[in-house]
Amino acid sequence: MKRREFLKTTPCLALLNPAFLPELCSNLYAFDLPPNLSKVEARYYEKLPDKEIKCHLCPRECHLGDKERGYCGVRENSNGTYYTLVYGKACAVHVDPVEKKPFFHFYPRRQTLSLATAGCNVNCKFCQNWEISQVRPEQVQHFDFPPRMVVETAKKYNCPLIAYTYTEPVVFFEYMVDTAKLGRRAGLKSVVVTGGHINQQPLKELIEVVDAIKVDLKAFTQSFYDKYVRGELQPVLEAIKLIAASPVWLEIVYLVIPTLNDSPEEIRQLSRWLKQEIGPDVPIHFSRFHPMYLLKNLPPTPIATLEQARQIAREEGLHYVYIGNVPGHEGESTYCPNCGELLIKRWGFDVLKISLRNGKCPRCQTPIPGVWG
Amino acid sequence: MAKVIVGRGNILSRSGDIDTARLKKLIIKSLQALVDTPSLPEALHQIFPRPASVGLKINTIAGKKLSTRPEVSLTLGRLLLANHSGLRQVIIWDRTNRELKQAGYRLSQKGDIRIFGTDTRGVGYENKLVMTQNIGSLFSVIQTKLTHYSVSLAILKDHGLAGVTAGLKNYYGAVHNPNKYHDNHCDPFVAELFSTPPVKNKHRLTIIDALLVQFHRGPSYHPRWTARKNMLIFSLDPVAADTVGWQIIDQLRRQAGLPSLAEEGRTPLYLQTAEKMGLGQTSGKIEIKEIEA
Repeated sequence: MKRREFLKTTPCLALLNPAFLPELCSNLYAFDLPPNLSKVEARYYEKLPDKEIKCHLCPRECHLGDKERGYCGVRENSNGTYYTLVYGKACAVHVDPVEKKPFFHFYPRRQTLSLATAGCNVNCKFCQNWEISQVRPEQVQHFDFPPRMVVETAKKYNCPLIAYTYTEPVVFFEYMVDTAKLGRRAGLKSVVVTGGHINQQPLKELIEVVDAIKVDLKAFTQSFYDKYVRGELQPVLEAIKLIAASPVWLEIVYLVIPTLNDSPEEIRQLSRWLKQEIGPDVPIHFSRFHPMYLLKNLPPTPIATLEQARQIAREEGLHYVYIGNVPGHEGESTYCPNCGELLIKRWGFDVLKISLRNGKCPRCQTPIPGVWG
Repeated sequence: MAKVIVGRGNILSRSGDIDTARLKKLIIKSLQALVDTPSLPEALHQIFPRPASVGLKINTIAGKKLSTRPEVSLTLGRLLLANHSGLRQVIIWDRTNRELKQAGYRLSQKGDIRIFGTDTRGVGYENKLVMTQNIGSLFSVIQTKLTHYSVSLAILKDHGLAGVTAGLKNYYGAVHNPNKYHDNHCDPFVAELFSTPPVKNKHRLTIIDALLVQFHRGPSYHPRWTARKNMLIFSLDPVAADTVGWQIIDQLRRQAGLPSLAEEGRTPLYLQTAEKMGLGQTSGKIEIKEIEA
């Protein structure tokens, strides 16, 4: 089953209350539930004359009149005050291994309580989860899942990590930050899976309260961001730099899409930029594309293309280069960049063996960067 | 040459009341003038040639003061049913029941005039995406399945991003993700959405409610920048109708001492795009006929 189908059909929220089950199985767009949206004042916006507002959460900087919503579809100007409509309104909740996010250098084998609300601040033509990311909150089944309940549920299901994922957590910023703060007080770590399309100021607040961020770098050209993402590349690169300079653990995913962002030149430029700006130790995952949403005309990424990308990145000096969405491939595992020793053997989202000793290669004692727990 | 009928009459009073008798007369005269016939049934048969149900896509996003007025849509609906033997049903609709109610509509799912939003239980959006050049959307089932013909019964407003919102942009309310269509002054998105089969194949008529026009700071309602124009604009050419709407807004802005939309960098570029896509005509190729009631 594809991840998209899984999200759509799995009665995931039932783990919280089995009474939800019958409703969760109904048609995604059947509107069986009343809207029941939140009305919590948003952060990072500016009030303007005539009940207009300007949002400063993401580089889009939406300028909105009364009763209008931002590009994300989940923040609304009501009478000159900007509100998030999705605070505590989860539309997907699952228990996933942290390797699924993917984080390969952050608490391996741990379970995450993963959650999302509706909405996204870009519109990727290859979105895996468009049924929840590209809809308004009233168009998808959701329910009350306030921060305190998230923390209680994570503990109940033995998840030391809370993951904000599936859609774009930036659009539920307030909910994410408050949950992360509460989680930290309860001893839980927070991890974020994001496109990185966020302004510097809110990102600075975010990195104060979360522990790891995975950025989906969609390509390394603005033309790709214009055509297939409808967003800006430069703010994403700035976000990556800010995260890398903070104590928060950073990993990068690059979905390799045949003919669109898979040229060796682009991969080489990206790799050089990462090494120069971030350093050689940031893990990068070259993930396999599968046709979906608005890009069904393209084939899945050939494995040889992923292997070529991995080869180029390693040639450019990156130490931890992975291949994603190819279960069983050797590129899923972690090797010592000094002696080549196999350190963590993975198969899909499963960790089969960990040879690390106190965060070091057992053979040559090279420290392996990460948060190993 | 595209024909646009600009119907005028003292319909909306200063106190906000609607003279429904005059409104009815204006709609009849305008529709007759639109297709050059003295007979309303003949006019309607020309516009809606086959037996059908007709959807009146109204705009209710801005609340009671600045939405397609119930008197306008109901009067039009009754005239359609009374003068076209083949029309079985009129559906007056928009995105949500909440917005319809806030605009003064009484919801109804029975009878030959029905009023409900896409979010009505059992209605909703299609599950299959319709692609434009740039975006994929799920269309309201009202647009795709419940109606055979579509009338864009819009309201004329200034729009902070698009410049003007009128008949073409009204169809943003027919898809699940209108927020994704607002980049680059809504260009080419307004034109692209209109050119999709669920809209283009069903749209027959544009009527723009310009009884009260928001000429600045739209699309929200700001009474300081509204003008009681007491006009209804009719056209079979959706681009021409909106172009005339744009001219009216710019005229009102000049009268109020405001810069034109072009001077503010808010030219409704999507109209040129729509013309290039063959959806209709912009100025220079439009015949405007004024009707009084």
